[in-house]
Amino acid sequence: MKDVSVLIVEDDKWLAEQYERVLITAGCKVAISLHALAAITVIDDVRPDAIILDVLLTGTTAFALLHELQSYGDTGKIPIILCTNLASELSLDDLKLYGVKRILDKATMAPDDLVAAVKSVIL
Amino acid sequence: MGASKGEHDNSFSKPLLNGLPSFVVAAHELKSPLALVRQLSLMLESGDVSDADRRRMLRQISLTSERALRLTSDLTRAIRMPDALFKLEPINPQQLCEDVVRELTPLFAAHDRVVKLVSRRRSLLLVANRDLLRRILLNFSDNALHYAEDGAAVEIKINVYNNGQTIRLGVRDYGPALSSDLFKTLSTKLKDASMTPIHARPQSSGLGLYIVNQFADAMNGTIGVTRHRDGATFYVDLQTSNQLSLL
Repeated sequence: MKDVSVLIVEDDKWLAEQYERVLITAGCKVAISLHALAAITVIDDVRPDAIILDVLLTGTTAFALLHELQSYGDTGKIPIILCTNLASELSLDDLKLYGVKRILDKATMAPDDLVAAVKSVIL
Repeated sequence: MGASKGEHDNSFSKPLLNGLPSFVVAAHELKSPLALVRQLSLMLESGDVSDADRRRMLRQISLTSERALRLTSDLTRAIRMPDALFKLEPINPQQLCEDVVRELTPLFAAHDRVVKLVSRRRSLLLVANRDLLRRILLNFSDNALHYAEDGAAVEIKINVYNNGQTIRLGVRDYGPALSSDLFKTLSTKLKDASMTPIHARPQSSGLGLYIVNQFADAMNGTIGVTRHRDGATFYVDLQTSNQLSLL
């Protein structure tokens, strides 16, 4: 996955680092935002090919960020992978309108699932 | 000194949050640290990490496990509150806060953050249970660790109010300001000593503040929050001990 740029929005710094470790090993370029508000600036700067997004963030939640991204033609097209402990309570069908392409359950996913999910959404 | 018995009805099956039993709330709260430990363990199992990364990940696993264990032991203690007697004694808050700072320093350092005590010159004594007060400060500090911005220190402060009758131990974080709505909800619930969990942050189940509310109550204390432009202070107010004045 050379030259694939991924933004990780996750407020648990150590978990974000773990995702970063996995994606860098897979050849991705990675940026991290610990808050949704900071993510908006990073998205403007980096223009990621995919966003890995936690749902329950400090401050503004993921849904506010999803709304914001959908407000603009260019950012609205960035595929989103939700990576959350609430996976069992979310429906991909309901969230497709917000650019969500995959939902991963933090409690059951393996590190490789993250790479597989990124590959599947950028193809 | 006397003993205080908590007057609470917080059995484990009592609905706490949106009608959910407390064990569901606790399970949700424990999911995050367990998910992190699992991810790090799987990565270590794969063997595809450098020595430096391996050391860092093992440290993160042990510190994350300790945080999760702290929550479970706090929860156990909170559930047993109605049947327990807690010895209240004169405590030097400065000394206790120093112990808490020493205990938390490795966790904060691993997050590239600092926790420090804003010292007082004059010696003070307050009436509390050492273990419960320590748990309250650990809980507030843990919350501040998550909420503080990178590079900002978390400060534990000791102040005197109410003509010297009340000692306030506060944990100040420098991070995003609490929204007005959240602050109003927090203040009202803390003032009313509500039995429902109080959300300090949107992603929190509120279990931590619910627990410390029980602990403060058992020491005839109260917890509260002050909003700042650049963060928040969560505090516990306790009675001053008059023992020093008798010397």
